[in-house]
Amino acid sequence: MNAVVADITYRAMLGRKRIWLLALLPAALIGMAALLRLIGGPDEHTAVILMEKFSIGTMLPLLGLIAGTGVIAPEIEDGTIIHLLAKPISRPVIALTKFVVAASLVAVFGALSTFIAAFLLIRDESGVAYGFALGALLGGVAYAAVFMLVGVITRHAVTVGVIYALVWEGLVGGYVPGARTFSIQQWATSIADRISSSPFLTSDVSLGFAVSAVVVVTVGSLVWAGQRLRSLSLTGDE
Amino acid sequence: MMPEPTGVIHDIGYRHYEGARLGRGSAFGALMLHSLRGVFGLGRAARAKIIPFILAGILLLPGVVSIAIMALVKQQGMGYSDYASIMQPVLAIFLAAQSPYLVAPDLRFRVLPLYLSRPVAVLDYLGAKLAALTIAMFLVLAVPLTLLFAGELLVDLPGPPHTAEYFSAMGGAVILAVLLAALGLALASFTPRRGLGVASVIAFYLFTSVVSIVFFGVFMSIGRDVAAKWAMLINPFFLVDSVQVALFGTDPSNGEGYPPGLWSCLFVLMAIVVALAGLFLRYRKAASS
Repeated sequence: MNAVVADITYRAMLGRKRIWLLALLPAALIGMAALLRLIGGPDEHTAVILMEKFSIGTMLPLLGLIAGTGVIAPEIEDGTIIHLLAKPISRPVIALTKFVVAASLVAVFGALSTFIAAFLLIRDESGVAYGFALGALLGGVAYAAVFMLVGVITRHAVTVGVIYALVWEGLVGGYVPGARTFSIQQWATSIADRISSSPFLTSDVSLGFAVSAVVVVTVGSLVWAGQRLRSLSLTGDE
Repeated sequence: MMPEPTGVIHDIGYRHYEGARLGRGSAFGALMLHSLRGVFGLGRAARAKIIPFILAGILLLPGVVSIAIMALVKQQGMGYSDYASIMQPVLAIFLAAQSPYLVAPDLRFRVLPLYLSRPVAVLDYLGAKLAALTIAMFLVLAVPLTLLFAGELLVDLPGPPHTAEYFSAMGGAVILAVLLAALGLALASFTPRRGLGVASVIAFYLFTSVVSIVFFGVFMSIGRDVAAKWAMLINPFFLVDSVQVALFGTDPSNGEGYPPGLWSCLFVLMAIVVALAGLFLRYRKAASS
């Protein structure tokens, strides 16, 4: 961890238009929860649908994508990363610091808003709010790490991330059961499922596998991104 | 005493342009063609071609599979009118991945004043970009539909060919292309960063589709079916599908039907007008900076 790098990254993330995308989706989630409460007695089923489809299925990958690629990809695109890399700071430490910034943003905007929305809908019925908050936290951390790695590897990081989230987790995961084992979204859902006792939520990945997969993917992405930064080449693109 | 300096101007071959000076219309056409080629990565690096061609290939896939099904088991495979609704995630990714390319680099490298110092006006610039994206979105949808129709004619299924369905799907594709291009450009033009542009366009699609799914589910579960059908229209793809149903009488592709009447046509027009107004306001500021 390097406090100066973290400070600069926080300012770059929160001081620009990126903050609007980061804040709008959680605000929409809480707004929808409030609206659903207004239009008709919210029940556990509605809450689980909202959490599963909106929070874990849509908001979390997008927040992970915006935060994960946002901490490093614009700097690589501009070429200003060279000033950072020229400092006597080890590259894996830079990668770790940027990851911590991305993960903390996803935790605040993703997990916290998930908890507030679920709590607003059904209080602490069946532990749905706690389950989804923890699932969103762990899933968001994994998303942040993976998308930061993608941001270091390719210039088209956001497009690649969107294709992963929509095509692999959405389309392929919907039809091929085996693909669900390798989907961050499913790991987050299964963590939520094991903590809450709600009968409306099912998942087909075991808790042990999900937690260890999150840890392995996060640590693996971080190590890879750190290694990749050690030999980053700044070639022009378009 | 210094000798008098003898400067010489060398003729290094600068020449005046003596060809015809083409006007505003040609500039518009050239900019549109350049942008259209750029959407598919033509005239750009090989890396820029990978994503548009993979996505266009995925869009073509159901058509090809469908022709194979028709040839083997002599049955209609995929329908024409629900092609866009079924492939909507891929169309949305194509829009998100390619629309920032049209506007973001010009904003980021501040070349807009260079365009505007020529006969091209802001409206021409925006019109050319919009036309290019509309044509691109229409092409990625119309080519699979046309291939499917050609396949159906060649396989010669029993019964009359689905000519009416094909033409209504093509009509729907035109409306969808205009709507998506207007929304995509308006959202992408708000940031000079390509990555952020991709994220905002895809966030808009995901947000509308999930909001419509959640409200549809909730309204259905509390027995308010009419409200549930209105909630479907939040998703732009189903909105255009409902226009298609209203105008051409095709089968609804969401399996539930839409609210009756021509409201959806009005919504599509309103969405296009709002998007274009946002785009124009954005560029009124961008052009002066």
